[in-house]
Amino acid sequence: MPTVVLMDASLSMTRPVSLEGSEEFQRKNLAVHGLTMLFEHMATNYRLEFTALVVFSSLWELMVPFTRDYNTLQEALNNLEDYDKTCLESALQGVSNIVQQEWGSTCPCQVVLVTDGALGIGRGSLRHSLATMKQRGEDKKFPLPFPFPSKLYIMCISNAEELQATDAMDNLEQLLTLSGGEGHIFTMDGPLCLKSVQAMFGKLIDQAYTPFHAVLRCGNLASDVQVFPRPEPVLLDDEVDPVPKAVLTELEIVGFIEIGDIASPPVLSRHLVLPIAVNKEADEVGAGTTDDMEEDTSTNQMAGKSPNFCVLLHGSLKVEGMVALVQLGPDWYGMLYSQADSKKKSNLMMSLFEPGPEPLPWLGKISQLGPISDALENPYGEDDSKSPFPVQPKNKRSYAQNVTVWIKASGLQMCRKSSEMQENFQRKHKRSTRLVLYVVTQSKLPHEFTLDAFLIVKTVNCIPFFWAYLCVLKELNRLRKAALAFGFWELLKCVAELLERECTLLPDSAHPDAAFQLSHAAQQLKLASTGDSQYAAFEHNITPMLTDFSGGGGGADRM
Amino acid sequence: MKTFSVSHKTVIVVDHCPYMAESSRQQIECDMLTKSRAQGVIPLAPVSKSLWTCAVECSMEYLRILYDIYPARKLDMSAHRDILACTVLQVNYIVSDSEFHILNSWRQEDQSVQELMSALAAVGPPNPREDPECCSILHGLVAAVESLCKITEYQHESRTTLMDMAERVANRGRIICLTNAKSDTHVRMLEDCVLETIQEQNKLAAGSDRLMPIQQCELVLVHIYPQGDDTLVSDRPKKEISSVLNSEVHSVRAGRHLASKLNVLVQQHFDLASTTITNIPMKEEQHANTSANYDVELLHHRDAHIEFIKSGMHSIFVFDQCIPDCVCTGDLHMAGSTSRDSGLKETVTLKWCTPRTNSVELHYCTGAFRISPVDVNSRPSSCLTNFLLNGRSVLLEQPRKSGSKVISHMLSCHGGEIFLHTLNSTRSTLEDPPSISEGCGGRVTDYRITDFGEFMRENRLTPFPDMPVDAAGRAPFERAKAQLERHTRYWPMIISQTTIFNMQAVVPLANLIVKDSMTEDDLLTCQKTVYNLVDMERKNDPLPISTVGSRGKGPKRDEQYRIMWNELETLVKTHVGTSERHQQVLECISACRSKPPEEEERKKRGRKREDKEDKTEKNGKESEEKGWAPDSERLKGAIEREKEEQSESEVIKDSPDSPEPFNKKPRLATEELLSLEKSKGPVSLLSLWTSRITQANSRKHQEFAGRINSVNNKAELYQHLKDENGMDVHENGKATR
Repeated sequence: MPTVVLMDASLSMTRPVSLEGSEEFQRKNLAVHGLTMLFEHMATNYRLEFTALVVFSSLWELMVPFTRDYNTLQEALNNLEDYDKTCLESALQGVSNIVQQEWGSTCPCQVVLVTDGALGIGRGSLRHSLATMKQRGEDKKFPLPFPFPSKLYIMCISNAEELQATDAMDNLEQLLTLSGGEGHIFTMDGPLCLKSVQAMFGKLIDQAYTPFHAVLRCGNLASDVQVFPRPEPVLLDDEVDPVPKAVLTELEIVGFIEIGDIASPPVLSRHLVLPIAVNKEADEVGAGTTDDMEEDTSTNQMAGKSPNFCVLLHGSLKVEGMVALVQLGPDWYGMLYSQADSKKKSNLMMSLFEPGPEPLPWLGKISQLGPISDALENPYGEDDSKSPFPVQPKNKRSYAQNVTVWIKASGLQMCRKSSEMQENFQRKHKRSTRLVLYVVTQSKLPHEFTLDAFLIVKTVNCIPFFWAYLCVLKELNRLRKAALAFGFWELLKCVAELLERECTLLPDSAHPDAAFQLSHAAQQLKLASTGDSQYAAFEHNITPMLTDFSGGGGGADRM
Repeated sequence: MKTFSVSHKTVIVVDHCPYMAESSRQQIECDMLTKSRAQGVIPLAPVSKSLWTCAVECSMEYLRILYDIYPARKLDMSAHRDILACTVLQVNYIVSDSEFHILNSWRQEDQSVQELMSALAAVGPPNPREDPECCSILHGLVAAVESLCKITEYQHESRTTLMDMAERVANRGRIICLTNAKSDTHVRMLEDCVLETIQEQNKLAAGSDRLMPIQQCELVLVHIYPQGDDTLVSDRPKKEISSVLNSEVHSVRAGRHLASKLNVLVQQHFDLASTTITNIPMKEEQHANTSANYDVELLHHRDAHIEFIKSGMHSIFVFDQCIPDCVCTGDLHMAGSTSRDSGLKETVTLKWCTPRTNSVELHYCTGAFRISPVDVNSRPSSCLTNFLLNGRSVLLEQPRKSGSKVISHMLSCHGGEIFLHTLNSTRSTLEDPPSISEGCGGRVTDYRITDFGEFMRENRLTPFPDMPVDAAGRAPFERAKAQLERHTRYWPMIISQTTIFNMQAVVPLANLIVKDSMTEDDLLTCQKTVYNLVDMERKNDPLPISTVGSRGKGPKRDEQYRIMWNELETLVKTHVGTSERHQQVLECISACRSKPPEEEERKKRGRKREDKEDKTEKNGKESEEKGWAPDSERLKGAIEREKEEQSESEVIKDSPDSPEPFNKKPRLATEELLSLEKSKGPVSLLSLWTSRITQANSRKHQEFAGRINSVNNKAELYQHLKDENGMDVHENGKATR
């Protein structure tokens, strides 16, 4: 989650802080002191975070674009100049643009606004912005809420009483609500001094920049890990289930799945899983003291040489092309996998699925996934040629079945087949014969291939008439069902007439059965179109008429 | 969309009164025969659909899209939402004439187009001769309101699950009424009637368990009139009639105009958006080696465009970057007024992208949304869907006039359902992470990667939908975890930590011992494995003991076997409590392993070492044995460090009595070979031969006692002096492999 530090560089920040005895500080100095503390913390404990520094007064400027180089940030902070009045709206617009240019509009971002709470006067002041917010057009909208998910931390270099004396506190609270409510307003307790600014930034660090440590477990194998960026609690449905879900610090592997089976699943967020050496002694002494640094590096070197489960897991996941399914909490799962970047450096990554018992329909319910040894036979086959995934849904989707849609007139046009259709048919069925086909096509597009029906009325020698006729009946039955459901009896009559007319047009070489069968089908359609319950039943199918010629013999045998 | 938004319940009411039998007057030329063969055949008269047919087929199309994108799902107590089907949406279909006919219920199994088709066929078209006086759409509307009050299974489940917070489950719904109204006054009368019924029903529902009062209802009245007529009802946008009822009126000509209108409505009602896949290469049937490019329009949840929507709305800069590339067709509110049949407000165009992706690639995908083609039967649509249904995936890129290509989406099929995946195309915040080789354990090179790969394959998952819990009441995923626990009770991570897992001969036993229950055959196989090992020991076969971390050629053969037996025992001991047969395997091992006299002597010490091994391997699982001399404690630490750092100097520093750092001198060639043999990897013919000769020679004479105990052919002199000091550095040094 990248961070933008938005630093107030207006003249009011240079107001001196009254302190007895010691040297004189400006509010700006206190702000710089607090930010230095934040940057130092991030450099040691949160060093993968990208941070940008923006200063603003009536204008805004991107001092340091997103970087992990905290020295650069610190340097820029030390060389701040003082400008004119505060104009928060344009600065927030600037932050919005900077973040979207860099990370797009889906990446969550944290904005740390450092200000003295003097929010400007007149035009361009926050008060003015908030008051005029509702009277603006689309093009001049207030920049909050940001288009990307965000958390807004407002660090006030003043105490609460001072802010409440004016309407500054109300305005800031309104700002926080506008941004979506995620975040916090921090004020200084007691006198404005280095100690209280430290305490305030300490609270920010505790709330937003503490690293997430967890234990990754696979049975009895385990490793201490840091998950970066830290996973944020997820709110599912504020109406029914308003409590946010958080990732547990115990990440338990459930089992393994092939990459092809998990098939690029949608994820909420991605995180690096970095093995860490837990220095127990250091913990006891009390972590965080600065002179631990050197010791820390040597511990890390030692840790590099003792085997770690994460490295083993990563190596095998990479080699086998698999992912590990990991449980993050009750009914919440994620996956672990090896991810290589462009420089061929690879890493263990964890992606979080949407919370719920069935995050991916093609895996089914996660709680119903069990070990393959419980199955009667290996569902992957002896040679790994099969897979139990994807789980098939009970009903097919419309595009996976032969649905009838007649909304377009072209879906109802019946034409006598032209020669390409005939060739296609022959190619498909590997029969060398000349056919005359009559088709009901779905569309006017040339070479239309999705047929609603094709009617074969004449065969020469090779194709048994009966077989061809069954194909026709199958299509006719589908047409009949749809026409009955839509109450489109007129169509049934029309097709019946068409078939009858074909009877009269049959060439001499036609199969002797053709005329009988065609008029039989026509008769059945006509009966259905009367709505007579005996013939118009939806489930009823037109079956071939038994004749001397079809006789269940020859034709059927050769099918 | 909230779980219980108005979209949770939809009631479709279709007018079945005699006037609906009237023709839509949109003529369809079915008979195209005469065009291809003008032989004096009289063409059949064109057919036309009735208002009823138009209404039914368009409502079915509405439902087809709805069920494609939000398929009926099995109920789940805790499934309040999931990313792919945001809510459970249910539809009730009612037709109305002289009375109402409810064609399905809120039950999940009734939520299918096939069921409704069958029910509609039973109803048939309206009877034009029926008395118009007793027929009215009002019957249907009243039934619709009553139906909205009925609790759905899903609402019931949620209320039961939430218990004391049951009031969070809301009851909202939508009524879509397809009718032919007489006038605006008639429309108002219908609205009033719905409102009155809601008020009545809410009173009733307040006192009932199976009914819920309606909190919000949206009435969508669609007035259908034949082509060529003037409409008697005017369009009216959504308006609040009362706090519980909103109403809107659409006046639409029958035929394709109605179809476009319902297509627009289904998108509005269920948060859908449209994407047109362009440049789809398709083989021409006539010219098999050429291909033309086609477009296919798909509907899906609006969130698949979230990146476009957000960036377009909020920042003109990003708008410039993204949106002009995506064709936004004009606002087609006047359904049917343009040539586009789909009647969509806008569609985002994405380009088919070659090369295709392969299935073993794991894309960073931020969402997946079910799709439904707008024109499901057209040839381009079915070509695309069939292509995807065959298991292939297609990447989609944003069409741009210049610059690098941005792949933002992927179409992929999972189990007969097609999904539009959104891919992350912006910069990643995780770029340039420290490589895993730089972190903890990164410098270790002999991980058992292949063995763990094998372990993962054995612990793959498979669905057990029909077996929710086993005899012990464990769900399948709990059994999977239990299996992982069993399989990892003793699992050394690196090759140099283990002997038995490097031996082919142990494999059968290692595979069987982790099982939850062993058969008699399994037990026999385990015993055979043990006998086989005894046999190997008797023949003095070499063992694949790793020499990494130890000095010289490592421990002697009998020492190697001792280590191996110890390790095997450790493995089996962790499973001893599983069953009687597991216990028998351990007994078999204890009975079979040889314990030569000198072994007995060293037994105590050896056991302690063993404990230590266990300790390092099992992360201190076993408590440390009491009674260690402080000296040996120190020594233990020294050995450990030695192992870990492969540094001799540590040992020397810690125990000044240990031998000279001979390893720093160049070794003899034979020593090199010998140690090579014992490490992993292929063995050269020379080394095989040398070891054989050495072995043969060694049998011919008794080995000089000093050499037996030597390391790298160097024997330490005056050992007894040290023994008197109570310490044997040398032996201990050797024993650590």
